[in-house]
Amino acid sequence: MFIKKSKALVVLSLIMSALILVSGCGASKPAETAPSGGESKEPIKIGFLGAKTGDVAIYGLNTLKGLNMAIEELNKEGVLGRKVELVEEDNAGQKDQAINITNKLISQDKVVAIVGDPTTGITRVAGQIANSKNTVIMSAGSTGTNVVEIGPYVFRDTLLDTIAAPATMKYVIQDKGWKNVALITSKNNDYSVSLSKIFSDAIKSNGGNIVIEEFIQDKDTDFSGQITKIKSANPDVIVFSGYYTEGALIMKKAREVGIKAVMVGGDGLQGDDLMKIGGAAVEGSISYAGFSPEQPTPNTEKFINAFKAKYNNELPDLFAAQGYDALMIIAKAIKEANSADPVKFKDTLAKTKNYDGVSGSITFQESREPIKSPVYLLEVKDGKFALLKKVPVEVK
Amino acid sequence: MPILNNLMQQLVNGLALGGIYALIALGYTMVYGIIGMINFAYGEIFMFGAYAGLVLALTNYVNVYTALLGATLITMILGVVIERVAYKPIRRSSRLSALISAIGVSIFLSSFMVRVKGPNTRGFPTLFENRIFEIGNFQITIYQIVIIGVAGLMMLGLHLFVTYTKMGRAMRACAQDKDAASLMGVNIDRVISVTFAIGSGLAGTAGVLAGIYFNAVQPYMGLLAGLKAFAAAVLGGIGSIPGAMIGGIVIGLTEILGITVNLSEYKDAFAFAILILVLLFKPSGIMGRKANKKV
Repeated sequence: MFIKKSKALVVLSLIMSALILVSGCGASKPAETAPSGGESKEPIKIGFLGAKTGDVAIYGLNTLKGLNMAIEELNKEGVLGRKVELVEEDNAGQKDQAINITNKLISQDKVVAIVGDPTTGITRVAGQIANSKNTVIMSAGSTGTNVVEIGPYVFRDTLLDTIAAPATMKYVIQDKGWKNVALITSKNNDYSVSLSKIFSDAIKSNGGNIVIEEFIQDKDTDFSGQITKIKSANPDVIVFSGYYTEGALIMKKAREVGIKAVMVGGDGLQGDDLMKIGGAAVEGSISYAGFSPEQPTPNTEKFINAFKAKYNNELPDLFAAQGYDALMIIAKAIKEANSADPVKFKDTLAKTKNYDGVSGSITFQESREPIKSPVYLLEVKDGKFALLKKVPVEVK
Repeated sequence: MPILNNLMQQLVNGLALGGIYALIALGYTMVYGIIGMINFAYGEIFMFGAYAGLVLALTNYVNVYTALLGATLITMILGVVIERVAYKPIRRSSRLSALISAIGVSIFLSSFMVRVKGPNTRGFPTLFENRIFEIGNFQITIYQIVIIGVAGLMMLGLHLFVTYTKMGRAMRACAQDKDAASLMGVNIDRVISVTFAIGSGLAGTAGVLAGIYFNAVQPYMGLLAGLKAFAAAVLGGIGSIPGAMIGGIVIGLTEILGITVNLSEYKDAFAFAILILVLLFKPSGIMGRKANKKV
């Protein structure tokens, strides 16, 4: 009995002292900040939404690297006299986790803007939440449809297929003079079907002819039937709107039967497996991208050098560059609106025109869809993706 | 004329594809003929053969024939082991048990490959220089010649083996009546082992050929290939060796013809539509015996 009582006493006193400590800290905090003045001198909080683990972690981690660069840069001078602070969470590429994290970032951390998610699917889900809670969200990776349509708080700073594919076709048909096009679509791949539609319109409007249109399916391995037909149509170029695995296999087969034309496609072709599987057959293949560290503008070069210095000589990729731009453009809107209230600065943000970002110039259209310029055309050279040309995009 | 050339060209493509299906279909049909069981793991043995060929080709830069032979041997052993582990203990139980066991083996093999080699599509190293032969106005690549040639030789060899050797005779005896054959002194276990070894070897060879021809090896490649080969075996008349060859080639040709007439998205459906049609009019398949003879 006695022993138990004394134990209880010890526990009680421990709790008491802990409480005193906590309340003591709490009390002293305002006293510390008060002399430095201003009521809203606490940092402007920006949330990061993306995966740090799981299948799509590489996109999230690289976006984060770009964001941290932007934070460092912004905090040299501060924004509206305040520091900028990043709140990171890991959604592991899972929609349910992304929902919880978005809610937490907005309600608990009180972020004014969220940068993320790099993928279209999660941006759609998080966009609904952020928009309904009047918080700006800018995806630095999503290129699918039905993203900015969600509402006035949803943005993205990516190169869209509707901008890039026509620019690519213009180069292929007018600069290269490859007028006769074989168009190949992967029928069970949504991305490929919608991209083919854009390619097809762009080929016609640039004065090219689709001499043959063929269809494959993802995971097919035998393309001999289609290639035989393509060979007899004798095209100048093969435009394929699908992914790298099928692209590599198609080109292997094409070279086998003696077709000399090169392949042109979207960013779906950009995987190292294109060269691993395709080998010499994919040399010269052209695809477009939203960023390349080669032939940088002075502004981009500065970013690249700072990035290399910070991350052991690593070169920034598309996600790092777009992540950096996303935060810088939000900060610029906050400064211009002279307010960190998303209800106010979202309108300033939507009026951004010809912003000189490190991934290219960014203009938001009426619909808030971005126009990025230039489009970076990459070519497979000696088994690597190398910059072929930067094609400028006109902003009307 | 261009249309005719195109058609000839497509026939060659179809023959090459059909040859691969035919080789797998032979395995289905032989095992069914002997023990009346559908070995659904054949597609995965085909996949295993492709990977075995890939690994061999990558390790010591062996030539194409060594890779073929090595992969064939490996899959032969694999086939026998599978039979001993997964089918023999339940040979006396219901057919359903054997079928489920086969599905289990098939899932095990593809998951095993995902674990060991990863889920991505792998390219095949160039085992020999590609050459194109012009015959009249159409062309045949050396890959197609090798595939059609190897498939043809394998089928011829199998036919000779089954018709003229003692083991072949024992196999035919088992196919007719296992118990009677056993009473006549045929070692049933050995016949079954040999059947599995040969069938798996053919599937393994087909795997390497497919790897070389399509230049793509993937852990789930056996699923659709196995289904089509099964369709080919049924189409030709399950249990019939010439039937499996014909069935395989018919399926391969139909698939390519589907692409030729601009219906590539239905090419797989074509193969199965033909199967249904044939079965409606001749339920035992093209070369099949009357159904009442086989239980």
